[in-house]
Amino acid sequence: MSNFGHQTFHRAVEISSGVWMAEREKEVGRSAEEIVESFARAAEELPKLKETYYSQETYNVSRPDGEPSREEERTEFRKRFISIMPGADEQGNLRVEVAKWVEGR
Amino acid sequence: MGRGTLEKLKAILQGELSATENVQQALNRIKELDKKIKAFIELNPNALAEAEAIDRKLKRGERVGKLAGLTIGIKSNINVKGLRATCASRTLENYVSPYDAEVIRRVREAGGIIVGMNNMDEFACGSSGETSAFGPTENPAVLGRIPGGSSSGSAAAIAAGMCDLCLGTDTGGAIRNPASHCGVVGIRPTQGLVPAHGLIELAVSFDQIGPLAPDVYGAALMLETIAGHNPNECTSLDSPSANYSDKLGIGIENIRVGTSPKFSELADSAVMEVIDGAVEKLHDLGAEVVEVELPNLEKSLSAYYVIMSAEFFSATRKFDGRKYGRRIEEVCGDEVLRRIKCGDYISRKDQHDRYYKRALQVRTLMRREFGEALNKVDVIVGPTVPKLPHKLGTKLSPAEMYAYDYLTSPISLAGICAGVIKAGEASGIPVGLQVQGKVLGEGTVLRVMRALEAAK
Repeated sequence: MSNFGHQTFHRAVEISSGVWMAEREKEVGRSAEEIVESFARAAEELPKLKETYYSQETYNVSRPDGEPSREEERTEFRKRFISIMPGADEQGNLRVEVAKWVEGR
Repeated sequence: MGRGTLEKLKAILQGELSATENVQQALNRIKELDKKIKAFIELNPNALAEAEAIDRKLKRGERVGKLAGLTIGIKSNINVKGLRATCASRTLENYVSPYDAEVIRRVREAGGIIVGMNNMDEFACGSSGETSAFGPTENPAVLGRIPGGSSSGSAAAIAAGMCDLCLGTDTGGAIRNPASHCGVVGIRPTQGLVPAHGLIELAVSFDQIGPLAPDVYGAALMLETIAGHNPNECTSLDSPSANYSDKLGIGIENIRVGTSPKFSELADSAVMEVIDGAVEKLHDLGAEVVEVELPNLEKSLSAYYVIMSAEFFSATRKFDGRKYGRRIEEVCGDEVLRRIKCGDYISRKDQHDRYYKRALQVRTLMRREFGEALNKVDVIVGPTVPKLPHKLGTKLSPAEMYAYDYLTSPISLAGICAGVIKAGEASGIPVGLQVQGKVLGEGTVLRVMRALEAAK
């Protein structure tokens, strides 16, 4: 396959999988809305009460003061994190693709 | 299944069985069975070396922890440094954990040897063990049937004798459902009793890490290892550490056991027949059996799915493929996508009051109803799952699949604890009794389970 042919083929695969993805999202989204509606109907006749966001009422809102983790621990964590990043620059900083929603701004 | 957890632990401590031999036996069994069962996604390459270190400690007469030399499987949504926490999804298939979850730190400190990461439903979204991107898990107790989910690999690993103990997670029943289908022991602890640090969440206000084990002693031992306050977590309960394993044999005379007529309305008769037999046995063992009211039990399922979807949608926004992994919507399975879409819909500003707020009110109702019922009794017993597990590969609608959670999701909403133990079999398929306890009532729940286990 010529370079042009190769690129066209890849673009075609990308477009068709994009179309498939959009259709799947639409179809699953429709079934999701139906499920949510049926859930809402199930609760219609129940009494209106105060909402409970979390089942326990006590929270630790402040953490205890402590020593910072050791330098070698932080270095090791950084190394491990870099190894799972999708892309890094020469200095080892995270490099990410520009999000689609900012394209063209 | 071989010897029980207590006997094995004694054998290791007395030098009759080395930790290295125990790990080697587990690895051999996994190698022999796991192509068919698919209980593990990844094995720990350092397991034997870690076992040798325990053996050296034992030889030198040094102090070892309460899990010394026991083999442990970990559900693939808990961070174990150096192993992949994939959540059984292509989204995180290359995510190697850079740190240990708090429960893993405690397991390691107690001398437990992590042998590998267990298979599960993708992102814990499933009740059958069939939605994993790494293939469905088999039920070793009844081949050809689902093992239940989402802690499918953990329950299957225990049922097949591939490791001594496992850590699973339970959001709306994900430890209890597979424990019931596979005929093993499982505990959902009280909300906040076990640290959640390092758990890749499904729904943060419901998720609980808990043990799966071949026997009640094993479950108690693991629970007392991982339970206890973590001051670095805002939702960790400030409860004193408890010893459950020493008090298992007290018996259940004068314990008040509640049952509800609602259970037989919601569960199949084949399941109820086994459960009624277990309740009778508890009565024969000295428990007082009384009826309690749970008038809106069946309403909890809808509230659970609304809250869970909203929290799951929020939790998955970090899986955008930019820092690690891949963008979730591009690679996940249909069930994960469905829950993201549900959560997206529920979370819209104009829908907030109609769905989310309403579901939070049902949570208040469940807490109130269970609170009132548990004021009259020490535990409530009933079925875990309303029906027997279906055959692997059977096509079910989402509503049919969610119905597996009818009897487990109310406990999650109420924030109380519950344990599951095999009550018997229906047509050769295990049926688990769910023992539901008060907030921090794990000790009583385990005692009731042990009494039933000992009476077999």
